[in-house]
Amino acid sequence: MRKKWMYLTKMSLLKKIKSKWFVAVNLLFLFLIVFLLNIDTIVSFFGGDFSEKTKIILVDKTKQVEPIFESFVSSLENTSGESIRYQIQISSKTEAFEKKKLKGEKEILVVLDKDPENYLAAKIISTEKINSLDYQILVQAINQTKGEYALSLSGIDPLELSKIPSPIQIQREVLSNKQSIDEGMDMIMGSVFPTIILPFFMLIIFLVQMIGADICEEKSTKSMEVIISNVSPKVHFASKVVAANLFVILQGLLLLVYVIVAFLLRSVLSDGNAIGSLTSSLGGVWESLKAVGFIDKLWYFIPTVLLLMLVSFVAYSLLAGILASITTSMEDFQQIQTPIMLLCLGGYYLAIMASIFNGSIFIRILSYIPFISSLLSPALFVLGEINLFDMILSILITIFVNYLLIHFGMRIYKAGILNYSNEKVWTKFAKVIKNKDV
Amino acid sequence: MLKVNNISKNYGKVQAVDGLSFECREGEIFGLLGENGAGKTTTFRIIMGLIDANQGSVTLEGAPIDYTKTDQIGFVTEERSLLTKLTVEEQAQFYGALKGMSQEEIDKALSYWLEKFEISSYRTRKIKELSKGNQQKIQFICAIMNHPKLLILDEPFTGLDPINVKMLKDAIYDLKKEGCSIIFSSHQMEYIEEFCEKLVILVKGKAILNGYLNEIKKAYGIKQIEIIGEVQREDFEKIKGIKAIKKHQNKWILSIQNEEVVDKVFQAIRSRKIYKFEAIEPTLNEIFIEKVGSLK
Repeated sequence: MRKKWMYLTKMSLLKKIKSKWFVAVNLLFLFLIVFLLNIDTIVSFFGGDFSEKTKIILVDKTKQVEPIFESFVSSLENTSGESIRYQIQISSKTEAFEKKKLKGEKEILVVLDKDPENYLAAKIISTEKINSLDYQILVQAINQTKGEYALSLSGIDPLELSKIPSPIQIQREVLSNKQSIDEGMDMIMGSVFPTIILPFFMLIIFLVQMIGADICEEKSTKSMEVIISNVSPKVHFASKVVAANLFVILQGLLLLVYVIVAFLLRSVLSDGNAIGSLTSSLGGVWESLKAVGFIDKLWYFIPTVLLLMLVSFVAYSLLAGILASITTSMEDFQQIQTPIMLLCLGGYYLAIMASIFNGSIFIRILSYIPFISSLLSPALFVLGEINLFDMILSILITIFVNYLLIHFGMRIYKAGILNYSNEKVWTKFAKVIKNKDV
Repeated sequence: MLKVNNISKNYGKVQAVDGLSFECREGEIFGLLGENGAGKTTTFRIIMGLIDANQGSVTLEGAPIDYTKTDQIGFVTEERSLLTKLTVEEQAQFYGALKGMSQEEIDKALSYWLEKFEISSYRTRKIKELSKGNQQKIQFICAIMNHPKLLILDEPFTGLDPINVKMLKDAIYDLKKEGCSIIFSSHQMEYIEEFCEKLVILVKGKAILNGYLNEIKKAYGIKQIEIIGEVQREDFEKIKGIKAIKKHQNKWILSIQNEEVVDKVFQAIRSRKIYKFEAIEPTLNEIFIEKVGSLK
């Protein structure tokens, strides 16, 4: 029987992998991942206005603020994370002269003059509409210049004066015993985490679809009769669950390979600088994670999450298989799988929103619920809302639910795979659950 | 030998099979007859071990049928149980492997049967690309390629033209010669009459007739006489026991109450010029309609 189980598992897996659609979808994945991770290089390759520097021509009628303005523009363009995009030209000519010379979108004339009431008056002149980011940076730089100019007129000692705009050194002290507190984590949860868990969400969808389609196909073609006359429903179900899980693990590994390929390509395209401008973003995330002490926990976080994912994949495949056995056609399965999808989607959104509802008892309780826990628990762990013990508890609860699904679900599966009627279906299966001899 | 001993199965209040018993010896073809919903499919499922009977037992060669025995059973379902996205070869490999056959055995058997059924060129074609008749042949091949000891045929000739029916019939006879016990179900009575030595007729899960076909016919008695000759309607009218007299072209067809009437009719017309005088045995169709109809 073991040989037949292995054969059925291999058959289900190969049927999926050898399909031309599997190849097509994976080529598409590879293309999309490579494209998204190299989008800046690709955009640069095609060129455009963005690569051209904006020329700021400054006419400083005060004869005092020119270096201040220049330093603020420079500081702001560094903060924006962009590469150097401005070229500042200090003009000694008149405003009227420079205005006549202006041409194109990339030339902006800034005129700064004394204002008896408001310290500084400013004019921004251009031939066309200015890019909104450029405009914001200019306005901010002018306002900051005005502030510093006004302070310089107040007669305060220059040394003291320089201390005013310099950033405050904040000493952060957390009195609770939670080590993993960092306000920057909200940013990570909001932007980075959804991207990390998206593949897991996708894999769950693949898993449910695969097992459902497989069982429905065998049922609708009545091949099930012949198969079940040669192997027990238990062996058949086990083969479907194992094949579907192997498939998503393989698909997950392939996605990882595509990411590596995309980074390697990025390395080649950016002359050995593998991460390129991505470094600053990833570096920020890494620094944040380091600050909360999360990096030190990675050695047990990753295996625990993978184990939780694995038992959750099994739970999803068991539930999908049981539901597929009840249905009599692929259309019915498409409808009955909707609650599973919503469950999974719920987990995904809760994981994203966990940081917004920091400390929510309700979300914490949900993190123990099988099916949801696979996506929510890791999010809460990263946020420092739960610890390793909670993660292990989630795993144990999911394992227990898997046991229940196998124990009672097998009765439904055994009766369901040979049932072709939709009449009184719920009553029928309620009786089946109660009667172990069915 | 297959032995079905007093099996019953109910689905809630519905009695699908009710105390059914029969035997099918080696090299014997057994007919299972019944209207739609009479319990034939449930009986097959119990024999195959797909469902458990509420009572009774099924044994093959003296041992209960479990998953160690099912490798020796072939099953042709009423609807084509084929995975239509697979090729003929893949389908055969799939079902063959489930029967515990090796790759080599499957290839050898498949080549043999594809050639015998004159469809060798379809080996690499997808099942869904084949005609219904050819799909039926593939299903049949998949069921018999392991030389089963028990073969269950549920409406095996559906969708086949007369030439293909003959091919399958020959194959069934070959299996019978090999000693395979065959259980045959069909709505077409002529096939049952042609194939089966023994049969059971099911009505609402209960066997209303069970035994050898010739004995059943004998018990039913002769109910019809066909005569061709120089005879007149008046020759029969006075004979007691004749229920109806019909003339079809030059043939007289008399419906009679029992066998005793045959001799009376013969005596009455023996002095006439007779070309044909035949006491007709009832057809299985007539027996089926009378037996099943009388219970409605």
